[in-house]
Amino acid sequence: MMRVDHAGEYGANRIYAGQMAVLGHTQISPLIQEMWDQEKQHLRKFNEILAENRVRPTLLLPLWNIAGFALGAGSALLGKEGAMACTVAVEESISEHYNSQIRTLMEIDPEKYSELLQLIKEFRDDEMEHHDTGLEHDAESVPGYQLMKAIIQAGCKAAICVSERL
Amino acid sequence: MAALIRGLRAGRVLRGLGSVAVQGTLSPQCSNVRRGFHRAALLRLANDSKSDTSVPPPSYHEVDTAGESSSSSAHGESSEDAQPNTSFQDQSGEHGEDYETEEQLQARILTAALVYCVCVVNAAPSESTGWRFTTNHRPGFTDEMLIGRCLQGRNCISKKTAEFLRDAVEMRLRMLIPYIDTWPRAMSILLLPHNIPDSLKHLSTMVDDIWYYAGDRSTDVNWYTRRAALTGIYNTTELVMVQDSSPDFEETWAFLDNRIKDVVNMANTAKQVQATGEAVVQGLMGAAITLKNLTGMNQRR
Repeated sequence: MMRVDHAGEYGANRIYAGQMAVLGHTQISPLIQEMWDQEKQHLRKFNEILAENRVRPTLLLPLWNIAGFALGAGSALLGKEGAMACTVAVEESISEHYNSQIRTLMEIDPEKYSELLQLIKEFRDDEMEHHDTGLEHDAESVPGYQLMKAIIQAGCKAAICVSERL
Repeated sequence: MAALIRGLRAGRVLRGLGSVAVQGTLSPQCSNVRRGFHRAALLRLANDSKSDTSVPPPSYHEVDTAGESSSSSAHGESSEDAQPNTSFQDQSGEHGEDYETEEQLQARILTAALVYCVCVVNAAPSESTGWRFTTNHRPGFTDEMLIGRCLQGRNCISKKTAEFLRDAVEMRLRMLIPYIDTWPRAMSILLLPHNIPDSLKHLSTMVDDIWYYAGDRSTDVNWYTRRAALTGIYNTTELVMVQDSSPDFEETWAFLDNRIKDVVNMANTAKQVQATGEAVVQGLMGAAITLKNLTGMNQRR
């Protein structure tokens, strides 16, 4: 479970890095930078959890490194709206994933995992905020929004599935 | 290559009395030191004198049942987890006697189909590295626990870490010395397809433990490369040891030293290459920008 979260935050980091690489000098860059910093903070927290609990990181980290950066850069090349659309799609996937984890943990034992639940809820709220920010900034106005969103979300689901096992 | 694979599989089964038994008794909230103590409590036996009374095994068998019988002793001993380091050695005598009956019980169970011997080594804490371990060793299953001070995580392998790795592997291999004559046979048993999942699991647990107590806290691909390197070192050194006939296995330890040096060099070289690469990229970027300036492409019109 922690492995997937760690991989997810790592991927999100790389996506924002890709977006910044392309859109770094535009108007939208402070906003992306701010979202990126929050993701960095999430990743730091997950690094700690992984080290503390001796969890094995996913073998596909280099893959997520490249894929995330490519996705971020590619979507940013479609302009600011493209970047925002990518953010919306990814954040929606991640929020859904966190929600299902929260549900699972609640089912197993809320007291035992209370700290972890708190953490995941907090991160989920951050991700929802990013999602809403993306929507505010004209994510939907990019041509092919629905298609792009569907593809990115399918990719995210596959990544989550694979990282759980590998 | 075949020998390497054989060697790779060879060491694996042997590790996990503790690791097999521990799965059932630990809660995920336990800290790692406590986990180390759990294992120590599980597998600790009397001191060196006991090894003199051990019986060399005439034959080997798959020891699937060992896991179940050891977990019963695990439950009995899991309450001893909160003791400080020093108490282990002090109380090892008394606890040894408690354990003896359990061991004898295990012996009776297992000698129905196989014979095993138990020897226990209590190593004194080493001043330089500050760790100590105890093991319960038997041919077919062996466990190693290192209870160490946590060092800071590093990307390059520091001298202290290298020393720790070297000492850990040496200590672990020294436990094989009493059985070195029959060890090749034990290795071949470990390679039986039926045993391979277990032996792999035990090897990976051991290598993970060693790195953890050496201070590795990496959460990226380094996690894998380090463990793979240590697995390679351990298995090749084990193979060398089996064929070594020098006094006190000096050649084996020399081989181990060289391998550890190799790995350290590799890590340092990788770091240097990365740094050089970054510098080169920056140089190229600088050259590109200069060119753009020269050709006037950078000017805004």
